[in-house]
Amino acid sequence: MKKPKVAFFDFAGCEGDQLQVANLEEELLTLLGQVEVVSFREVMKEHSDHYDIAFIEGSCTRLHDEDRLKQIRKNAKIVVAIGSCATIGGINSLKNYQDLDDVRRTVYGEKAKLFDTYAARPIDAVIPVDAYVHGCPINKEEFLSVVKSLLLGKKPDIPNYPVCVECKKNENVCAFERGQFCIGPVTRAGCNSCCVNEGTICWGCRGLVDNPNENSQKEVLIKYGLTVDDAIGKFRLYFGWQERKR
Amino acid sequence: MRVISKEDFTEFVNTLIKDKSLNVIGVKSKGDKFAFGPLESASELRLDYDVTLLPPKKYFFPQRETLVTYEVDKGFSAKSPADVKPTVIIGVHPYDIVALLHMDEIFRETKSDPYYFEKRKASIIIGVNIQKMSKWCFAPYMGCAIIDYGYDLMLTDLGNRYAINIGHAKGEELLMKYAKNVKDALARDIQLVGQKKQEIMNMAQQKFDFSTELIPELLSKTYGESGFWEKHSEKCLACGSCVLVCPTCYCFDVKEDADLSLEYGERIRTWDGCLLEDFAKIASGENFRPTRPTRYRHRYFKKGKYLFDRFGFISCVGCGRCSSNCLPDIANPVNLFNDMYHETLNMGVQVAPATEPEVEIQTEGSIDYVPKLATIVKKVPMTAKETLFEIKLDDGSNIGHKPGQFVEVSVFGVGEAPISVSSSPTKKGMFELCVRKVGSVTTKLHTLNVGDKVGVRGPFGNGFDAEFLKGKDLLFVAGGLGVAPLRSLFNYVLDNRKDYGRVILLYGCKEPRELLFGDEILALANRDDVEFKPTVDWCPENEVWDGNIGVITTLIPQVTFDPGTTYAIVCGPPIMYKFVIADLKGRKVPDDHIILSLERRMKCGVGKCGHCQINQIYVCKDGPVFNYSKIKGVPEAL
Repeated sequence: MKKPKVAFFDFAGCEGDQLQVANLEEELLTLLGQVEVVSFREVMKEHSDHYDIAFIEGSCTRLHDEDRLKQIRKNAKIVVAIGSCATIGGINSLKNYQDLDDVRRTVYGEKAKLFDTYAARPIDAVIPVDAYVHGCPINKEEFLSVVKSLLLGKKPDIPNYPVCVECKKNENVCAFERGQFCIGPVTRAGCNSCCVNEGTICWGCRGLVDNPNENSQKEVLIKYGLTVDDAIGKFRLYFGWQERKR
Repeated sequence: MRVISKEDFTEFVNTLIKDKSLNVIGVKSKGDKFAFGPLESASELRLDYDVTLLPPKKYFFPQRETLVTYEVDKGFSAKSPADVKPTVIIGVHPYDIVALLHMDEIFRETKSDPYYFEKRKASIIIGVNIQKMSKWCFAPYMGCAIIDYGYDLMLTDLGNRYAINIGHAKGEELLMKYAKNVKDALARDIQLVGQKKQEIMNMAQQKFDFSTELIPELLSKTYGESGFWEKHSEKCLACGSCVLVCPTCYCFDVKEDADLSLEYGERIRTWDGCLLEDFAKIASGENFRPTRPTRYRHRYFKKGKYLFDRFGFISCVGCGRCSSNCLPDIANPVNLFNDMYHETLNMGVQVAPATEPEVEIQTEGSIDYVPKLATIVKKVPMTAKETLFEIKLDDGSNIGHKPGQFVEVSVFGVGEAPISVSSSPTKKGMFELCVRKVGSVTTKLHTLNVGDKVGVRGPFGNGFDAEFLKGKDLLFVAGGLGVAPLRSLFNYVLDNRKDYGRVILLYGCKEPRELLFGDEILALANRDDVEFKPTVDWCPENEVWDGNIGVITTLIPQVTFDPGTTYAIVCGPPIMYKFVIADLKGRKVPDDHIILSLERRMKCGVGKCGHCQINQIYVCKDGPVFNYSKIKGVPEAL
């Protein structure tokens, strides 16, 4: 089998997901036995437009980024969105709830006019996406698992159940029982409940499950003592784009 | 009964820990909660706990367990059992012991699960009577708060000493080998233990308003009250917490985990739960239990009715873990059943305890999760989506299937999928599978070529009773891919043509280019011993079709048959059954003359994993072939 050519691209995001890939270290070498990386700005100078798999990090926040995305879609056989910004719009979508002119002025000051912007959105709001590696940042193991699935011609195994499943398997004390507020019950699992394992909460970085019971989850947050505004804020942090769409 | 001072008990536990041939597990604190974990010192033991986060089943049926390993081209092998060390579990509450006894029955039924029992047999259970009861616990109502069976040793805290009940010789041997100063209990100790047990029976803060014996019957009366189930499950997050922490839940998923080299990997099983959205979803996207109320109801029925009918016990031990882990607080069985009881009374319905079911658990050998290696010997594309594969087992044996049975086909690194055998058992040395490209396994299978290896487990299921059908007139009704399982019987009948009466085949697909087994099937038109009518739902302008156009039911009025001697054999997409059955009944075909083959998510193939369950029925084991008269009252079936 000819090694598939792989390229990485970034849009609005922190590039933390590509950093996770670069951090694979030894496994990266094994991975390089299976694929040929032709473009990866974070680790190499070379670039080629001939690739089979495109990994895209970051969300689309400007109209003219759409052209670049469409070009990637044309070049690649498989498009994979990596990281929350790319898969669900991520925290960039927080700005969608504010006045976009204010947002521009805050970021660019006097030069705001020179920079166009529009509502932040995930990659699949612009082009069809074949696979997702969720998370903020992505989990190295899951990245490898998705790559293996693609190489095997298999649909990546991305759970459609919430983080609670993994918390229970890991025998975590529920964040609510520790007096914290968690949105794991509506957040897509697959991270092995990594944040709760460390004693903190689920922030929702992997996005909502396909059919979340959002009302019940908000009721739970309020029942345990959160204000309505804070409950809504919890949902906006990562679910901003998904909530608007629903 | 024996007694041991607390100092000597501590010494006993520390001596166990020092013996490296043993795994010593005990209850330890975890934050404000408790969990079973490996003990490093007896001082970590917290026998005064209320309830642990997870039950001890995790030591016998772990969250993640390798079933099979494989190497591409070399095939599959069973996981080596070398790592099964004798395990002593200290501090198990009686309800969790009862739960293990339930799991024993479930995992040994029909075929026993080798992975569960290798660990179960190597275990020594040291129970402890409840000292503090969780506020959610209702074990006394379930008869699971105090027990005199199921443990090897049972401790009762008597202040400066423990009373020890010996339940099994293994327990006694352990004491003899590792404990010092174990004395016979005095009358006073025995009396104190009796008192403690009395206290435990009065500890529950959760209270049932009725006798829990009524649960199976109450459930029966409430199945169709959809408003009741909607009300109770409205806030359900479908998070699965209630089932994942349950000591008697045993549903699992099976997944493939390939190494990065893609050359070898493992097949693992992980805990799954029937409350989760995709639990009953099959590769084509059809979800057989798509709503929260139906999944919520299924959980209670599984515990309180289906397992009761099969095993004679309500599979709830009253630990209260589901209640305590449910954030919207809708999973408390006590609340649900009390409400069910009062609503039933308000409706004026009388409920008496269910009669004890007749339980006869058969066990025949052990489950073999290891697929046999097989080779694709022929690959015939039939349509854009379907291909016919001819497969030979590498050991030269026949799979020995009955018409209508299915096999689990493994593709290296991708996984396993249930596929019905399409060829007749009369064809020896090989078998055929007509495979639609729909999920990962089948899509990958389509990329394999002649000479490539696959794995095969099975055959599974009951199949058609070809003997019984002898002498009868047969009306085959096949829709789309439904022709694949029917062909195994149809070809068998043709190969033994004189044994059967009239043979009619009605076959429909969406459009002409989707016709399966095209040449073979169209050639039937030339036979005078088969009446054959094909149909297509529509015919695009650029295609040729001179047969009937319309859905499959438009063919039924076109054939004459004697409903008294005719057996209809029906297989097709889920939507088809209702309409075909209605039309057959309209033609006076008796219910027991209608035979159906149903499709579900058959994952394990051996009636354990729970995915293919239709109410109380396991399609993989009790089906996939069903007599309509037997399942017409099974609400989830059609």
